[in-house]
Amino acid sequence: MELFLYTALFAPLAGSLFAGIFGASPKNIITGLVTSSLIFLSFVSSLFLFVHLYNGGEIVHVEMMDWIMAGDLSVPFGFVVDNVSSTMMLVVTLVSTVVHIYSMGYMEHDKGFNRFFSYLSAFVFSMMVLVMSDNFLGLFIGWEGVGLCSWLLIGFWYHKESATWAANEAFIMNRIADLGMLIGIFLIYWNFGSLQYDEVFSQVAETDTTILTWIGIFLFIGAMGKSAQFPLHTWLADAMEGPTPVSALIHAATMVTAGVYLVIRANELYSLIPEVGYFIASLGAFVAFFAATMALVNRDIKRVIAYSTLSQLGYMFVAGGLGAYWIALFHLATHAFFKALLFLGAGNVMHAMDDELNIMKMGGMRKVMGWTAILMIVASLALAGIYPFAGFFSKDKILEVAFDSNHYILWGVLWVTAGLTAFYSFRVVMLVFFGKERYKDFGFHPHEAHKFMLWAMSPLAVLAIIAGFFEHQFYNFVTGVLPHYNFSEEIHHVVGQLILVTTGIALTGIGIAVFSNMYREGVFSTVLQNNFIYRFLDNQWYIPKIYDEVFAKPYIELSTLLWNRVDVKIVDATVDGIAKFLHTTGEKTRGMQSGNLSHMLRWVVAGFTLLLVLAVVYTYYSI
Amino acid sequence: MITLEDYIVLATLLFMIGLYGVIVRTNLLMLFFATEIMLNSVNIALVAISNYYEDLTGQMFAFFIIAIAASEVAIGLGLLILWYKRHGNIDLNTLKSMKG
Amino acid sequence: MEHILSILIFFPAIAGVLGFLINRDGIRIYAITITMLEFLISLVLWFQFDSSQIGIQFVENIPLIPEFGVGYFLGLDGISLFLVVLTTFMTMIGIVSIPENTKDMRELLLTLLFLETTMVGVFVALDAILFYIFWELSLVPMLYIIGHWGGEKRIYASIKFFLYTFAGSLIMLIGMLVMAYLYFQATGIWSFNLLEWYRLQLPVDYQLWLFGAFFLGFAIKVPMFPFHTWLPYAHGQAPTVGSVILAAILLKMGTYGFIRFSLPLYPDASVYFITPVAILSIIMVIYTAMVAYAQKDIKQLVAYSSISHMGVVMLGIFALNPEGITGSIFLMISHGIVSGALFLLVGVIYERKHTKMMSEFGGLASVMPRYALIFGIMMMASVGLPLTIGFVGEFLSFVGFYKISHVMTILGGTAVIVGAIYMLGAYKKTFFGQVTKEENRKLSDLNFREYATLIPLTLLVIFLGVYPKPVLEPVDKSVKAVVSIMHQKAITEEGKNTIPLIDLSKEIK
Repeated sequence: MELFLYTALFAPLAGSLFAGIFGASPKNIITGLVTSSLIFLSFVSSLFLFVHLYNGGEIVHVEMMDWIMAGDLSVPFGFVVDNVSSTMMLVVTLVSTVVHIYSMGYMEHDKGFNRFFSYLSAFVFSMMVLVMSDNFLGLFIGWEGVGLCSWLLIGFWYHKESATWAANEAFIMNRIADLGMLIGIFLIYWNFGSLQYDEVFSQVAETDTTILTWIGIFLFIGAMGKSAQFPLHTWLADAMEGPTPVSALIHAATMVTAGVYLVIRANELYSLIPEVGYFIASLGAFVAFFAATMALVNRDIKRVIAYSTLSQLGYMFVAGGLGAYWIALFHLATHAFFKALLFLGAGNVMHAMDDELNIMKMGGMRKVMGWTAILMIVASLALAGIYPFAGFFSKDKILEVAFDSNHYILWGVLWVTAGLTAFYSFRVVMLVFFGKERYKDFGFHPHEAHKFMLWAMSPLAVLAIIAGFFEHQFYNFVTGVLPHYNFSEEIHHVVGQLILVTTGIALTGIGIAVFSNMYREGVFSTVLQNNFIYRFLDNQWYIPKIYDEVFAKPYIELSTLLWNRVDVKIVDATVDGIAKFLHTTGEKTRGMQSGNLSHMLRWVVAGFTLLLVLAVVYTYYSI
Repeated sequence: MITLEDYIVLATLLFMIGLYGVIVRTNLLMLFFATEIMLNSVNIALVAISNYYEDLTGQMFAFFIIAIAASEVAIGLGLLILWYKRHGNIDLNTLKSMKG
Repeated sequence: MEHILSILIFFPAIAGVLGFLINRDGIRIYAITITMLEFLISLVLWFQFDSSQIGIQFVENIPLIPEFGVGYFLGLDGISLFLVVLTTFMTMIGIVSIPENTKDMRELLLTLLFLETTMVGVFVALDAILFYIFWELSLVPMLYIIGHWGGEKRIYASIKFFLYTFAGSLIMLIGMLVMAYLYFQATGIWSFNLLEWYRLQLPVDYQLWLFGAFFLGFAIKVPMFPFHTWLPYAHGQAPTVGSVILAAILLKMGTYGFIRFSLPLYPDASVYFITPVAILSIIMVIYTAMVAYAQKDIKQLVAYSSISHMGVVMLGIFALNPEGITGSIFLMISHGIVSGALFLLVGVIYERKHTKMMSEFGGLASVMPRYALIFGIMMMASVGLPLTIGFVGEFLSFVGFYKISHVMTILGGTAVIVGAIYMLGAYKKTFFGQVTKEENRKLSDLNFREYATLIPLTLLVIFLGVYPKPVLEPVDKSVKAVVSIMHQKAITEEGKNTIPLIDLSKEIK
């Protein structure tokens, strides 16, 4: 089994290095093929491991070699494949394989083709380290590694100012959160003396709750950055500057779910501190709603999907925060499938429209790209949570959990959000694929994507449809290591009504989107567009502006001030001042050396007198 | 009765006079006189104190000083004459070759 | 190999004297050969070093002035071992990096050889006077390097560098003399032998004053805020090789001094001064990182970033536990490699365009992709990304200091944020975007000489990031020895509590 583990882990690295060798050379399709097949190899190995565990096999745990050993700290490169990480591995490698194959078509005309695959495979490697590590610091390696790859890939088209800006924003914002995570790791080390998951979690029960609470908070701050939770969310929408396959893989399916994964991984810790869990759930519910409102009005196809990702991450955190870890993981998996599908579909649309993102310039595109339209509708239905698509099962479970644990406000928020989700996803579908063919006015000539790209997307489509039916198998599998979530008796009586209510609001949302679009192109009337709320939402609650005014600009100003005023004018000037003082003293007293014997004699007398006085004073005081 | 204090006062007065001369005079010869006065005032003090303590060390010191002063004057006057022959005056203000 | 340390010290100096006999054409090859041999000797030293032992190894002790206990006393432990290897390695890289058309090439190379002698001397001297002599001597070659081969304001920068550090070390010398006198009072014997000083237990108030005297000498060298302003000038004016050596090794002498002198000699004072030193270090970290962000000259930016990193090193040292001190030593090594590499990289574009202003560049990633790649790796190492050399030391330093104070670690930990801000900002300005200046389109990518210097550094950055154990293990052992001395010597209750008790018997296998 160890062989499979190492293959799954290092095949992407090998691919990345291989593509990296040709990084600066012109496009070579071989890099794409090699990296894709190595990722596929990684997928197959993950599948073997998964099957091994599914059939009740032993958890695979290896220690490859020592990493950091100092003082009492000892951190090895250790990897564990248990029910949770094997699920994650499967999801990650599956989506990665699809995205790699898809990218060969998407990036076919790009100069940086080889470089792109090198980065993409490096990302997969980092993500595998993140999910497979058996200790917190190993997780942190992956954590930072995916951050680096995300920086590289968002800024992939580095000649674009907006892309590099977004890349830096993403990296720096993640670093803020990473500091929180590091502090959490420090706390774990000094309180448990180890960073290995098993050693830490075996001790949590006997540890003081205050410390656990702090650890929980700091780790969650780390999760907030990577999973773009409020208030560290702005980078995710800006990250859409990267190539679309990147958005599908990193900023929808895998990296952003790392925060959720961390909460699930540390479930033994979080289940002991329900207050923090409740905070996580509340924040998740807020973000779910908050992001959905921003998605309602946005006209950028990728940004809408990005906000929906944010919103769905909120759902996952609600489940994780309320202790339903397996449900969070379930939603994570189904979401990865349909959201990646949605993004790749959006990628097809963009490609067809020469990288145009404004959905107001599209419309009626189902006629030229029917398959993409079908795939995106499938994904949107799954996202909206319509039976029998995958999203229905996982999202509905989260609502049930919220209802069951008597958090009716959370439930209410999520319920409303479910309606909003259905509305905005179908608003996009309607504006892009139905209605008047507005693109003709702008002189676009859309065309369907390559056949192999559509084929590559098909596994995701199939999973987006059927994944929900494996709920029980999934439950049985992951609860091998995750705690069960015990629904109360009463919930069974109302579960039918709950499903009805939720599906109802989702259908209503879809209905509004569909009908209003038939009635009026663009869904929102001009009157509505001048409304304060519309502008508020369109400006993303003014948060990017506030950040710019409150943090970014003052930081630049303060830096310049510190340099020009403090460092040069105060600190350095003081040093030079001392030197100048000595210099001027010399200049002033130079007159003493007039060479005139008479003057010298006077100085002798003066000095003599001074010494005499000092002697007298000293004698007087010492007696 | 002439007490020790009287000697000391005399020595101090002489010393002050000498010191004053050292400060204000610019003629080298006058400077020599002034230093001689100071040396002699010290001699007076030494002799008086040695007499007071009945200890001969002080008087011996006074002899030393007289001897040294004599030789010093001999060398000093020699230099002074040499200087006068070269420059035509012995004004201190003209001796500025060591100006910094 | 009994006198390997003496050979290591004086080989470059003797070679430097002989170098005057070599003609100008052969001098470059000669100097490279000499530094390579020196590096090989230091590698031999590393292999001969017995890492199962804790104490000082390769001891050489010849009395020079027996009446005052001054001797030629050399020795090496895990702490100094890697600083010595770093010195010989970076000097070699620095000498290889010197372009052929440099003026007065022979003099520059020979000055560097003399500099190497003094730097190695500082790290292996265990006699205070000997240490002081090497410490001061190291200023002289650097003075010439900045003053003769520097930029426009080189005279000002070199004089400032010299006087500033010299003033600090004079106070340190007074501290050493007082220390020797106290030792004489306590034992009746004059001695400047550091190991014997270690045994002396001083009253707390003496410790505080002596700590202060040593502190000034070391802090200016590190350089700690607010004594740092000589550094940006020195770096700004120094030639590339001067900056490389200055950042990679000379600054480490200060932090090394703290570990070698201040901590084991004055444990209670060290504990007493944790908070003030930590506050200064945190200011160093945040303030200089912000100042770095405001820079327009990329070399100044790297210079300020050095100060910021040294702040983290200081935090690690004053964690006073093995995690922190080991981390800080590792960070010294990693910072030596990374900042040396960054200065070399800055030198690459300076040589091509004779400007260091970031506004003159932009879009270099498409013109010089390999250069951009290596710069990117070094930048990430500087930012402290895991699996690069920068992470290990930074992480351990913070882990260690977390034991002392939560809040101050969080404040100091902002290094990971502010560091990313200025580094990524600089990278964006220089490498990303469109090529704004037409003449930049013709810039050539790295040449053979530059590869020869940068590739080894890059490999090292990644290798030690993935597998730091060969370095960490010996360092950790020696650090534990230092910490256990500190714990034994500490008088105050607070000192005993802050400095952990180390069971050294576990360390001897």
